[in-house]
Amino acid sequence: MAILEELLTILAAVGMSWARMTVALIVSIIFSLCVGIPAAVNRVVEKIVIPALDILQSIPILSFFPIALYVFIIIHPVIGPELAAIFLIFTSQAWNIAFGVYKSVRLIPPELLEASNALDLGLWRRLSSLYIPAAFPGIASNLPPSWANGLYFLVACEIITIGEAEWSLFGIGTLSTSYIMAGRVIEFIASLVVVVAAVILTNLLVFIPVMRLSERYKFEERAAEIPRVWIERVSGWLSRMARRISFSLSPRITLFELRIPSGAPRILLITALAVVVTLLGHSISGRVSAGVTLAWAQDIVEAFQRLGVVDPLVMIGFSLARVSAAVAFALLWTLPVAILIYEKGMLEKILIPLFQIIASFPATLILPLIAKAVVDLGLPLELGALLMILLGTQWYLLFFLLDGLRGIPYEEEEVCKALAMTRLQKLRHLYLPRMLPSLIMGLIVCFGGGWNTLVIAERAILGEFTWDLGSPGIGRMLSIAVDEGDLALLIAATIWMAGFIVLLNRLLWRRLYEKAVKMVGVA
Amino acid sequence: MNGPSIKEPILELRNIVFGYRLRKGENIRIFDDLSLDVKYAEFIGIAGPSGCGKSTLIRIMAGLIKPEKGEVLFRGKPLKKPTPRIGIMFQSPALFPWYTVLENVMLALIHEKDLSENDKIERARVFLDMVGLTAFESAYPAELSGGMKARVALARALVSQPDLLLMDEPFSNLDPLTAISLRREVESLWLNQSMPPSSVVMVSHDIEELVELCDRIIVLTKRPAKIAGVVEVDLDRPRQRRSPEFYKYVDEIYTLLS
Ligand SMILES: Nc1ncnc2c1ncn2[C@@H]1O[C@H](COP(=O)(O)OP(=O)(O)O)[C@@H](O)[C@H]1O
Ligand SMILES: [Mg+2]
Repeated sequence: MAILEELLTILAAVGMSWARMTVALIVSIIFSLCVGIPAAVNRVVEKIVIPALDILQSIPILSFFPIALYVFIIIHPVIGPELAAIFLIFTSQAWNIAFGVYKSVRLIPPELLEASNALDLGLWRRLSSLYIPAAFPGIASNLPPSWANGLYFLVACEIITIGEAEWSLFGIGTLSTSYIMAGRVIEFIASLVVVVAAVILTNLLVFIPVMRLSERYKFEERAAEIPRVWIERVSGWLSRMARRISFSLSPRITLFELRIPSGAPRILLITALAVVVTLLGHSISGRVSAGVTLAWAQDIVEAFQRLGVVDPLVMIGFSLARVSAAVAFALLWTLPVAILIYEKGMLEKILIPLFQIIASFPATLILPLIAKAVVDLGLPLELGALLMILLGTQWYLLFFLLDGLRGIPYEEEEVCKALAMTRLQKLRHLYLPRMLPSLIMGLIVCFGGGWNTLVIAERAILGEFTWDLGSPGIGRMLSIAVDEGDLALLIAATIWMAGFIVLLNRLLWRRLYEKAVKMVGVA
Repeated sequence: MNGPSIKEPILELRNIVFGYRLRKGENIRIFDDLSLDVKYAEFIGIAGPSGCGKSTLIRIMAGLIKPEKGEVLFRGKPLKKPTPRIGIMFQSPALFPWYTVLENVMLALIHEKDLSENDKIERARVFLDMVGLTAFESAYPAELSGGMKARVALARALVSQPDLLLMDEPFSNLDPLTAISLRREVESLWLNQSMPPSSVVMVSHDIEELVELCDRIIVLTKRPAKIAGVVEVDLDRPRQRRSPEFYKYVDEIYTLLS
């Protein structure tokens, strides 16, 4: 049975990819707790962590990957590529979760903090009874977008070619790309269907129940209880089923209660840290000698000289224009849609779960189709790039906008109603001010995602077919460097790009955000 | 006696039926055929066990909630939606943190198309002066104490010069001294015939506060709320809390409540 065999292969590939993403997600959550909580609690840590997250978020993941791959292969030649893939997925999932944790912990009412100070709880008790539960909503609401983001880059990180060398890991990214290369349309469509089904199941079985559970841990009070919607009813049923199954398998698994034995996270944490430190020490002291490091440094300096100053600036200019156009377009539709979703309580209940599922759709899987369609139909290539960037970023904006709107206290709504404000007045006096910080936060994340996607959108090798905008672009530069196996050039271009993005964040976004927070008077 | 003697209703509730729908499809009945009047120049108090629907009643009076059945008539006409002619002060001040005190008050003049921006500022200042907050007009809500926020909320409820002022436990979150001075202010405003509001409806669980301020106190029963009794307070103002007559009224209300 060839069909059955093929289907099993697809299922196994999805399973492998999912396993990779799950490991990365768990690492992301641990990382976010380790970083987000101290940043929210301690001013000094905040001053270090938030800019660092900013920088990390702005480094284009895909350009980072060959470098990471190189490092991980030095660490271990066999599992290196696997670790590198997990690492790449981690870098695509972690930052928004870390921001989410930071934001949620910041929302802890001061009285509660004082109370826990007065009780003189130990660090661990304080973590387990206050900070981690408080961080829970921030983690939960970021799971679907993080998963979507991981999925987006999964396809790109399972196969990587650096010059002559090629690594490919068994997974759905590799499999679907091989289908496209072989022109096996039916199998390609089948793999798409399986992925979408898996995404839907993951959302229904895991993310939606977790998010519902996290509602309880929120500090803002909701005026009225939100009735369950059809899709959540399905998910509630499915999660009950899953729980029943997991209970019958092992009565001790309490995944859905989230009751981890209190010692476990600490042990996990220490182990993770120990592993990272050992690996780093090992790689630095044992395998890479000082001479090699020096040679690298020289190569990189030389690459910078080759690039010059004008060319990178022109490339960045083009890329910035592309990302800005995509973000502007995303804002154009997400702003009214978010407000509409919010205003019609009915819409929210249907659209949010639906959007989470649609947003989790792996755009990179259909990216080859966009590229092919744009080329075949003779549409402008820039349109294709715009579409690809949009696919990678717009959902963030929508999620952030909805998040901002959902935080509106009921009393403020009621005051607007009592003052008989029109919709436009309400938009101006309530929605926009309340949304402003999340809007800017969303724009920051959206731009970050946009820069990331550039690496694919400006130039990508799709089997026999090369998608290439032709016009300048920093993402295109990165892609060419990867193609030529020119690691030094890649690092130089990455530093240019990341440097510019960091500058933009520092000089523009962060300031805007702080201004907005100050103006609105709510963090 | 106090106040003008035009004893016509300014607000009439006729046979109000209302319930909240819960998520399990249940419907909790709050009002099952409730009728009451608020007359011109009257200060009405509403008392009742907690959860009986006092806040809901205030919201129905403000046009924020539509009853399932029955009519709400304001100055003889059906009340379809909130109007600037009715001012409302909620239990929490609910000020917009991004606007200054002055801007928060001016927000209630949003429908005054005939007023220029300067007129609006002038008008808002008059009411801020009345509640004793002139010095704080450019402060932000976060910089104010609870009592000051309540004063801003009062100024905002009054700046549109409403005929009717609705207050839902307005002084319950304030310290006793602030509450005393705000009660005085509300009473003198209401007594001042050249100033709004003509009539006041106040929900409170502080029975002495009700007896001190109200002409008529409507005591509600448990859900679904019915009128357990109406107490007319016939004492000269300002009323002395320590007098035996005062306590006669307080006791009468407690009896109705239990
Ligand atoms: N938005 C709502 N949805 C569902 N039930 C509500 C809502 N608001 C109030 N209730 C319920 O209606 C009852 C009356 O509420 P409320 O009018 O606030 O009472 P009171 O102000 O007298 O304490 C309470 O039992 C409350 O739980
Ligand atoms: Mg109430």
